[in-house]
Amino acid sequence: MKFVIRRFKDDKSFWQSFEVPVKKGMTLLDGLFYIRENIDPSLAFRASCRMGICGSCAVKVNGRPRLACEAQLSKFKKEIKIEPLDNFRVIRDLVTEFEGFFAKHKKVKPYLIANTDYENPIEQLQTPEELKKYYIFTLCIKCGSCLSVCPSSATLESSLGPAALVSAYRFNADSRDRGKEERLKIVSESFGVWRCHSAMECSEVCPKQIEPAKAIQLLRRETLR
Amino acid sequence: MHYGGSMIDCDIAIVGAGLAGMRAAVAIAEKNSKVSVAIIAKTYPIRCHSVCAEGGSAAVLRKEDSFDLHAWDTVKGSDFLADQDAVEFFVRECPKEILRLENWGCPWSRNPDGTIAQRAFGGHSVNRTVFAADRTGFHEVHTLYERLLKYDNVEFFSEYFLTNLAIEDNRIQGLSAIELKTGNLVFFKAKAVILATGGAGRLYGFTTYSHQVTGDGMAIAYRCGVPLKDMEFMQFHPTGLVPSGILMTEACRGEGGYLRNKFGERFMQKYAPEKMELAPRDVVARAMWKEIIEGRAFEGEHGPYLALDLTHLGEEKIEQRLPMIREAAIKFLDIDPVEEPLPVKPVQHYTMGGIHTNMFTETPVKGLFAAGECACVSIHGANRLGSNSTVECLVFGRVAGEMALKYIENVKDVKINQEFLKEEEERIFDKIGKGNENPHTIKRELNETMDKHLWIFRNGDGLKEAIRKIEELKERYSQASIADDCRKFNVALLSTLEVGYMLDLAEVVAMGALLRTESRGAHYRLDYPERNDKQWLVHTLAYYTREGPRFEYLPVTITKWKPVERKY
Amino acid sequence: MGVMSWFKYKSPFGLAFAFQRITGIILLFYLILHLCYLTSLQSRELYETLTSITVSRQFIIFDSLLILCGVFHGVNGIRIIIHELGIGHELRRVVLAVSAIIAILGWIIGSYILFMALGD
Repeated sequence: MKFVIRRFKDDKSFWQSFEVPVKKGMTLLDGLFYIRENIDPSLAFRASCRMGICGSCAVKVNGRPRLACEAQLSKFKKEIKIEPLDNFRVIRDLVTEFEGFFAKHKKVKPYLIANTDYENPIEQLQTPEELKKYYIFTLCIKCGSCLSVCPSSATLESSLGPAALVSAYRFNADSRDRGKEERLKIVSESFGVWRCHSAMECSEVCPKQIEPAKAIQLLRRETLR
Repeated sequence: MHYGGSMIDCDIAIVGAGLAGMRAAVAIAEKNSKVSVAIIAKTYPIRCHSVCAEGGSAAVLRKEDSFDLHAWDTVKGSDFLADQDAVEFFVRECPKEILRLENWGCPWSRNPDGTIAQRAFGGHSVNRTVFAADRTGFHEVHTLYERLLKYDNVEFFSEYFLTNLAIEDNRIQGLSAIELKTGNLVFFKAKAVILATGGAGRLYGFTTYSHQVTGDGMAIAYRCGVPLKDMEFMQFHPTGLVPSGILMTEACRGEGGYLRNKFGERFMQKYAPEKMELAPRDVVARAMWKEIIEGRAFEGEHGPYLALDLTHLGEEKIEQRLPMIREAAIKFLDIDPVEEPLPVKPVQHYTMGGIHTNMFTETPVKGLFAAGECACVSIHGANRLGSNSTVECLVFGRVAGEMALKYIENVKDVKINQEFLKEEEERIFDKIGKGNENPHTIKRELNETMDKHLWIFRNGDGLKEAIRKIEELKERYSQASIADDCRKFNVALLSTLEVGYMLDLAEVVAMGALLRTESRGAHYRLDYPERNDKQWLVHTLAYYTREGPRFEYLPVTITKWKPVERKY
Repeated sequence: MGVMSWFKYKSPFGLAFAFQRITGIILLFYLILHLCYLTSLQSRELYETLTSITVSRQFIIFDSLLILCGVFHGVNGIRIIIHELGIGHELRRVVLAVSAIIAILGWIIGSYILFMALGD
């Protein structure tokens, strides 16, 4: 199978092809490691858990963002085009700058705001029904796929983007949280929920099927109350 | 300084942004908001290996349980090599850590009445494993990371690769790391350093670990004169998915799954009739491997395997308690555990050994602390019980943070020697990687050697062969190449340095295993199959010398429980 | 002008997003044109000149396309409103398909009526 990769070195971008032998069950990430270990040790890409839980390996495969470790090579044709994620500045080859992404996440106060005792913590009760309300939004692995396909985030750098807004909703919907007002104030600014124009691309590409678009709409309704 | 090396000043530097590292940072920031904390890690915090933890965290939360019982389970599970004073301290801290995480937002799975749910796990006599679906590590890490965003005095230095510690007069002065983005060497001046860099799983080929877990902190501490303890004890988890090695959590068996050989029998009946599949991991792993060696396993294109049968649990239970492993099995193997059994095989999973610390995470070097998997207190002794590690990271992460904070009260100023700065630059940029041996080939051969001779069943000849091979690989490593001349995000440099760390650690593991002429816990010698408490109720300490590791032995601390036969 | 960047997203949702904006611009353009048209009612010659050009067999294709733009923009707009109420995200592909069918039907019916009207 031919891997056609868009590389980036010393401010120059160029395409390079590699031939990778394919075995049954091999993933795209296995292919990238094969290239690094046997053909070109300088191929830079992020990877860690290889089981779809760390979010390091999101790359654009044939035009769509995927987690490299979850893409089975048997499902592709003879040639695969691999590029770094859109809407991120490229550092080297397939490695992109994520500081901005995490800064956006930090902006929405993505932590539980409640009156708790550090030295002598007490169990807070939460029923399974209350847990179900927000649980799916806790599954975000911060891979960046949603941000790379969001058209609004592409045109305005300061947009919070789907992942940060999902985080904000996750805490607002948590029955133990008391910080809803604070967060709503932040996300109802012009770069927050109102940047969403329902392109729905984020929900299409999320590897954990979280449906960020839904979370954003639910968050938006909260800001109107 | 032609590579642009810069110096960063901080009060406490934490290396490693996993559960232990981040918990230490929270502990410091909660007590003191003026102390500057730098968290230095080779990946972003939420990409750490701790996110892969699945099963749960054990703690005594309910009246039916007791600290003594948790401690006894842990000590018996460790095959009596655990230091009992440390274990007694540890079990009393676990409940508070679980509740703290809950207070910070961790989505623990709940009972219908709203209390935190607990499930059965191997080796525990009471259901005390707290869990968040089957992604416990993932949720714990995200909760800790998000909590850390609250504190202004904690700064993340993500994608900084540790290369060396600066120690003078047996006192820590700081450390050096490569900033991956620019490729420059950066020095951190710190009054105290906490190492929380994780285990050394990638020594092996068939392992549950992430690609980045190469034992960096352990190897660097070792080279700087800090002894490594009990490195020969490597845990093999019974159920790793074939062929990727992805972990099928112990909770599969905790929720009622069965292990079957090719005749469909639940073979654990023969080895642990009382606990069956919920015997401790070393017992189950040995049982499975015996079935494989004696020809009672299935044969597949990736080698022999056994079956993990979850089909009788029903779709609802699996979706609620084991959703991630179902997703993984379908995604990576196209097998639905609701319909068919999963192909599994014992897989390397945990490093019981590590940097020698006492109960307060102190190492022999003043100001240097170690917590989590990279440290060995020792809580887990010769075999770790499931769900004890995640909570150990939390308990000792907190201890390390508070100890470091107390330590720096008496430290006025630190200074990194000019010589150190110059030598480190030369070592990294001028000396390594001038040959033309592919470091990845060396790593692959190391993996093959470890998989063969340092696996579940070991013997003297195999270990001697392993040591010989490791020496050969170290020779070849001196001729390793770095096939990338661009500094920015130079992964070739990283890979080469990592292989160097792994070779040092492999040597300690192999020699320690050869010298320990008994079988205990996860270390099983076919030529010495009995446990020998008279001679070997001691910890192995390995010190670095140019000619190879020098070994000393430290007696185990016994307080309450005298060693007895370990039967399940 | 950044308009080409809207077409980077090659999934049906991305295209719907892009065309919503393009049809929006076209309809805005048409609205301005229509207002000019109406202000031309002040003079009989001006009105008759304009109608002789635009109400003709050759122009009908533009009118038909205009109907397509209007119908698409309206139906897609309703689809987006439904989603922005938080409804139907799990069935978004079904909703998109149904919207596409309604839009095409609306276009065909509208163009048919237009043809018939012109035939007289």
